[in-house]
Amino acid sequence: MSHDLILVINPRALFTRVAIYQNYNVLFLKDILHPDHDLARFSHYTEEVNYRRDKILSELDDNGICLDCIQAVVGRGGLMKPVKAGIYEVNPAIVNDLKSEEYGEDYVNLGGVLAHEISGLFPTMRAFVVDPVTVDEYGELARFTGHPEFERKSVFHTLNQKAMAKRHAKALMRKYEEMNLIVVHLGSGISVGAHCKGSVIDSNQALDGDGPFAPERAGSLPMGDLIRYCFRSGKSEEEVIDKFFHKGGLFAYLGTYSALEVDGMVTNGDEKAAKVFEAMAYQVSKEIGAMFAVLNSEIDGIIITGNIANSRWFVNKIIDRVKNMGPVHVYPGVMELDSMAQITLSALRGNEEILMYK
Amino acid sequence: MDSCTNHILVINPGSTSTKVAVFQGGQSKFQQDIIHHEKDIDKFDRISHQYEFRMQAIIEVLEHNDIDLSCIEVVMGRGGLINPVPAGVIEVDEKLKFDLRNSPIGEHASNLGGLIADDLAKKISGAKAYIANPVVVDEFDEIARIAGHPLFERKSIFHALNQKAIAREYAQSHSVSYNEINVIVAHMGGGITVGAHKKGKVVDVNQGLDGEGPFSPERSGNLPIGQIIEKCFSGDYSEKEVRKMVTGKGGMMAYFGTNDLREVVAKKFRGDKKAELVYEAMAYQVAKDIGAMFTVLSGDVDAILLTGGIAHDQDFTNLIRNRVHKMAQVYVYPGEDEMKALANIGTRVLRGELKPIKY
Repeated sequence: MSHDLILVINPRALFTRVAIYQNYNVLFLKDILHPDHDLARFSHYTEEVNYRRDKILSELDDNGICLDCIQAVVGRGGLMKPVKAGIYEVNPAIVNDLKSEEYGEDYVNLGGVLAHEISGLFPTMRAFVVDPVTVDEYGELARFTGHPEFERKSVFHTLNQKAMAKRHAKALMRKYEEMNLIVVHLGSGISVGAHCKGSVIDSNQALDGDGPFAPERAGSLPMGDLIRYCFRSGKSEEEVIDKFFHKGGLFAYLGTYSALEVDGMVTNGDEKAAKVFEAMAYQVSKEIGAMFAVLNSEIDGIIITGNIANSRWFVNKIIDRVKNMGPVHVYPGVMELDSMAQITLSALRGNEEILMYK
Repeated sequence: MDSCTNHILVINPGSTSTKVAVFQGGQSKFQQDIIHHEKDIDKFDRISHQYEFRMQAIIEVLEHNDIDLSCIEVVMGRGGLINPVPAGVIEVDEKLKFDLRNSPIGEHASNLGGLIADDLAKKISGAKAYIANPVVVDEFDEIARIAGHPLFERKSIFHALNQKAIAREYAQSHSVSYNEINVIVAHMGGGITVGAHKKGKVVDVNQGLDGEGPFSPERSGNLPIGQIIEKCFSGDYSEKEVRKMVTGKGGMMAYFGTNDLREVVAKKFRGDKKAELVYEAMAYQVAKDIGAMFTVLSGDVDAILLTGGIAHDQDFTNLIRNRVHKMAQVYVYPGEDEMKALANIGTRVLRGELKPIKY
């Protein structure tokens, strides 16, 4: 029996996306849904580890996947110490930092923890995380906020940004490490990264409320108003965070998290939806412009990716504003799973260094 | 020319100084910057309480320099934080004075400009008081108003007076009309604002006053909102203290305890690595905002204009230029032309070229 399968895990709020790869081919792909009545038992997502682990294993088993044939399990890298991009073997330090939420709370933290839990059940199975959200390649200048008590941290959609940038470079038969690119990830959060010869030297810090608003997040807000709101609204810190980080942006204006639903509203002539959706594109464009300056206004191209890139209306609003900067390439969707599997495969074959997290 | 006609007295209160000037037909006849020491200014809880203190200083300077007030026909005060107004010149009336005293949006030294101008005009027979292009000039495109949450709106608050004056100066020297060109103007003083001027209207600008855009000598600019929320709820700071981190005691002030960029430059030359980095980071952030405004104008930009006191620093403007010169040609207009800008507007009013509006 061959022993060359790779299990890829990408945990989201309401489902866990899993895939089985053999070489470069995906053999199995499924979003395992977690219905409300299941999740209601848990007060915090960190308690969902065993539940999600068992769901994954039974799902694979039900579909006739040979569990003993899995050589490695790779989870999405979560919020951990700032690290360089690459693949990390899961060790106690990673599990501890993800579980303790010392570097932030997000479902994405479950990726490494689930990889660890599952590999522990099989003697030879190895566990990895790839390009954690906290990959940090910032230039020195990008770290300053404007006040020493505040810092800009590199937290963004590393995995998809890098995967798309590499795919784009490959398509042009060029090296990612030799190109200057601006990569825009349009998902439930939005990040715009300045990729300078293979390193992301600046990006908006999407997770901490920086940059354009997004389906769930308010992005940057007028700070005077925000400070007043914190002190005078009578709301608790959790409520304020929930309002601006989970129920902000498109949801706050239009009552939906789905940008594609908003796209439909626009098509049906909803003027308010059009105004808000265009404003989101406007803010994304402004962030692209900022990254253009970061790269000294010399770029090989702009890459627009993520699920919202499926909205042609939205993407065109951005292109109208940025087309003078360089060629714009649109790759809708995400290729996080492919990218995780590929990097893991090269690492197992000795073509990519396996990094150690301390 | 009769030496005692068409005189314009200009009053421009800034955070740490009050500038006073007399102009005639576009020419400066007298100008003085009254510097206020921080310890004198800090005595007052509210900026509006500095009124007597600054008025006294102005009168002393005018008397000391034998300025003949009877020659003054127009007193121009710099505007302040009031409700949004169109670009142009505004008569000082009771309604305006009420809002200057009880600002609907926040305190700023320039609020004193209109109040002092009005009081001085009342002392001179036949003189009229105006403010012009206050910081709340609002020509935003609707799309620029959307913040990211319906509780808040982006507001137009910026160095309208100097930005507009410099943009007009550029237009004039290139024999084009301000209303026909697209320019990006970065005003770099104690605060920094970068405006997208689209055919004569400033359709977007970072709201420099309370924390948007680049940091500056005394403002923090944009900070990650998650961290701001944390500070607000930490229990360690009052609302006023958090606000001070953003406006007044942010930026260079927070990093080095000075809002004088020249002191930071001196540190840099003595080999202070941190001073060098922070200095470069400020230029970096200004460049990022210029890039943002480049997209606001859809990449169709005739020129990038750098102005304000910091534009005297050639190393600083070069750092910006290196990042943005591929977007459009960069021109540097060092210093502030606010006094001349106010006087020119006053002259246009006297000549009947510009009609004052009511607030």
